[in-house]
Amino acid sequence: MFKENQPLSANETDTIIGPSVKVEGDFITEGNIIVEGTICGTIKTAKNLKIGPQSKIFSNIWSENALVAGEVQGNINCNNKLELMATAKVFGDLKAAVLIIASGAVINGKCQAGDGKAKAAKPEFSKQEKIELKAAENEAAVNLKTKNKKI
Amino acid sequence: MYYYLYDNFLSAKKYQSSINKIESRLTDLGINGKISHLSFLKNIKQILTEEIKHGIKTIIVVGNDRTVNQVINLLPDFNALLGIIPLGPHNQIAKLLNIPEAEAACDVLSARMNTRLNLGLVNNNYYFITSLELLGNNLTINCDNNYLINLDGKNNSLITINNLFSFTNKSSIEDTLRLTIKTPKKLFFLKSYNNISRLQARKINLSSKKSIPILITDEKRIIKTPIEVVISPKKLKIIIGKIKRENK
Repeated sequence: MFKENQPLSANETDTIIGPSVKVEGDFITEGNIIVEGTICGTIKTAKNLKIGPQSKIFSNIWSENALVAGEVQGNINCNNKLELMATAKVFGDLKAAVLIIASGAVINGKCQAGDGKAKAAKPEFSKQEKIELKAAENEAAVNLKTKNKKI
Repeated sequence: MYYYLYDNFLSAKKYQSSINKIESRLTDLGINGKISHLSFLKNIKQILTEEIKHGIKTIIVVGNDRTVNQVINLLPDFNALLGIIPLGPHNQIAKLLNIPEAEAACDVLSARMNTRLNLGLVNNNYYFITSLELLGNNLTINCDNNYLINLDGKNNSLITINNLFSFTNKSSIEDTLRLTIKTPKKLFFLKSYNNISRLQARKINLSSKKSIPILITDEKRIIKTPIEVVISPKKLKIIIGKIKRENK
């Protein structure tokens, strides 16, 4: 999405908030957004969001993909990919299908990555079966050690 | 029937040969009609009302953006078809609609390919095709009644509200206004607009403590705040040039 050699250019972006602009309220669009200024309220977009290093966001964010390099005070929810750069400061919870965090990024909140459906079901063991299973494991380990000694 | 409206500045000698060529081409194509020259003493609204009463359905403006802008504010009431023969400086509207300058525009008129364009509407009073400009000192902008944009007091931002900014095909006409805020970054004595903000909205409200001078396509007006800018959909029936294919 936001690779260094392929940045989100101003031409293909529907909305740009410059450094000198302060936006207050619910900012809801269908297109790409680049934020370099300050926003208080809510940000919702069906496409990509890029938050520049000088920007300050005091709101919850919903987007498809997001690249954060500035300060965010609020929760970030991404349907797809969320990337935090080294200059990013997030004071809120993160939720995304794919989460990339660069070294140096500041996070103060809960992180949730992936869809959560891949979790394996816990098998049910009775106590006796557990003991037998442990004994079998120990026996196998001892056998391995003796074999290794012989060699 | 065609009705030709010539701007006042075309009475200058340097435009005479172009006008002669245009008139002879119009006669060749069989689309010549009544000609009227604008002047300070003539009231355009009165002239157009009388001519439309007499059955004129197509009004051709010969001049530049300023001439077109004078007529635009009257045409939505008459529901007449507008054509443009661009002549002289500042022909941004004609360029956007792919209409060539001077004599070549006559062929576009003859082809009579037309469409309905959205118009920008300021305070339910003034229409504009392309854009309006104003300075954003101590100004608060409300977009779609959803969010507010505050601009710092003395940053001399230039605000542009665009209605039609590209015309590559009929579907490229968008139902939103494009708001651009350019903030100058001073480099010693040079001013360069480095910080650009761009937003899209259907309705833009501008409020300030003072009245704001606004530049509507080369025509300066002072309008009392609050100012409401909206889109008036498919308001203007206009003849357009051949549509260029968008290069992707």
